[in-house]
Amino acid sequence: YYGNMDETQRILQYLTEVEEAAEDVLADKQQIVDLDIKRNRNREALAALHRDREQADKVKVCFGNMFIKLPRARTQEMIQKDQEQLDKEITELRKRLKARVNRLNELQGKPELTGYNLSPLSKEELRAIGRVLEK
Amino acid sequence: MAAQMATTKVPEVRDITRIERIGAHSHIRGLGLDDALEPRQVSQGMVGQLASRRAAGLILEMIKEGHIAGRAVLIAGQPGTGKTAIAMGIAQSLGPDTPFTALAGSEIYSLEMSKTEALSQAFRKAIGVRIKEETEIIEGEVVEIQIDRPATGTGSKVGKLTLKTTEMETIYDLGSKMIESLSKERVQAGDVITIDKATGKINKLGRSFTRARDYDAMGAQTQFVQCPEGELQKRKEVVHTVSLHEIDVINSRTQGFLALFSGDTGEIKSEVREQINAKVSEWREEGKAEIIPGVLFIDEVHMLDMECFSFLNRALESDLSPVLIMATNRGITRIRGTNYQSPHGIPLDLLDRLLIIATSPYTEKETRQILKIRCEEEDVELSEEAHTVLTRIGLETSLRYAIQLISTAGLVCRKRRGTEVQVEDIKRVYSLFLDESRSSQYMKEYQDSFLFNETKGSQMDTS
Repeated sequence: YYGNMDETQRILQYLTEVEEAAEDVLADKQQIVDLDIKRNRNREALAALHRDREQADKVKVCFGNMFIKLPRARTQEMIQKDQEQLDKEITELRKRLKARVNRLNELQGKPELTGYNLSPLSKEELRAIGRVLEK
Repeated sequence: MAAQMATTKVPEVRDITRIERIGAHSHIRGLGLDDALEPRQVSQGMVGQLASRRAAGLILEMIKEGHIAGRAVLIAGQPGTGKTAIAMGIAQSLGPDTPFTALAGSEIYSLEMSKTEALSQAFRKAIGVRIKEETEIIEGEVVEIQIDRPATGTGSKVGKLTLKTTEMETIYDLGSKMIESLSKERVQAGDVITIDKATGKINKLGRSFTRARDYDAMGAQTQFVQCPEGELQKRKEVVHTVSLHEIDVINSRTQGFLALFSGDTGEIKSEVREQINAKVSEWREEGKAEIIPGVLFIDEVHMLDMECFSFLNRALESDLSPVLIMATNRGITRIRGTNYQSPHGIPLDLLDRLLIIATSPYTEKETRQILKIRCEEEDVELSEEAHTVLTRIGLETSLRYAIQLISTAGLVCRKRRGTEVQVEDIKRVYSLFLDESRSSQYMKEYQDSFLFNETKGSQMDTS
């Protein structure tokens, strides 16, 4: 009877571990989506700033729930910086996500994906063998 | 082959009904082993040959783990004891990712290229290189596409493209270049597309399911897909496996107009191969490529001559070498092109490097089972008595002959509008087609009436 309890405990612990790992993966995925939404909104803003650049050289920017008038150049610069930060964060997240997916697979006893840890070829290198790939 | 397609670019309209041909080993699905590598009596098309299948299973496991690259295996046994079947079984169990190249020993004798070139190419076809391609793409369903033509009629067009995924939606401003490629691809609202961020190349994946009801009339080509999930700007990683030979071919083409005159086959310069080896090992060190040693299977290996054997000896020592599996049905015989006798017609120095798997003749029960499997494969119904008769024929003549009789008897049965092959059908084809021993018997009797009968005493050269 006690042995059975131990077994149950062990399974429960294992399942918790798998669930946690899966939760990590999902959380990272969602965060990438959130950041990409932000990134695209910024991109739209930059495009808008660029589009009607003949108009007033001050623009209204919304911070939280307040509109503030700011010089166009400053705004552009600010958003640009934000964009760079977002790009960096997304790259970081993708790297982490890979490790987490790997861990989840490992916990579930699934084989590692083939070529998972390869670094990609550069554009030139791909072009050299590119025609082989067009199957 | 892929390279050839790329150069000619024939539009693909080959929709002719494919005629399925049934090969002699089409029923083989694997080696028929359980998880502990123990062979099952009948499984995956394999029957009997337990010891050799078990040995093949061990080798297979080592190939999968990449332990025995650069080693060689010989499958030896009498004709019709399942040598090729075992090799096929290994190939089937390796899966699609491990390259498997098969050739018959006689295939290397060609006028177009030297024997060693043919062997080199076969070796390099059996080595895979795994590489990764990484692209940033924008993937989404087109919500709206809006193009403003300038009022004057000339000047650059501008436009807007709204894309969405299940999670988000955004608007892109379009330049004239993008507008051009969008209209070239005939992208419209409801399409699911990808845009390569680096090149701007647009790829239509299909129409969104949610728009399936938009029109009643639709081309047969229309494919429906789900609206993409997640972020719009994705990173796509694709892992490709190409063979060293494919890379060789691409890089050995003469560029420019000379390319028109040089054929697709022909020899590849050794410098090209060396360059590619260097590049690939560089990639491997940088973590950009993985080498997958595949399997090269040479059937009827006694057909090779001394030159080829010494080539094999050397090639096996290279660090880019596949697992070599050979098969032969010869006993002690002359090595082709020499007067030396050697077991299996293979020089002793090469033989010394081989792991040898022997196959033995099938028992009555096994023969019966193989015939049954072949009947299923060839879609021929066999009555119980006919099956027994066929098994006897298989034992007394050869298994191959008995298998030949299956489809012929099936045809005879269909001609008389029967549904099941009966003993009569077997008898009939047995009388129509001679087996090897009856044919020799016949010839011995009527030798004198055949042409060129003066060769009586001399031995036929079989090597």
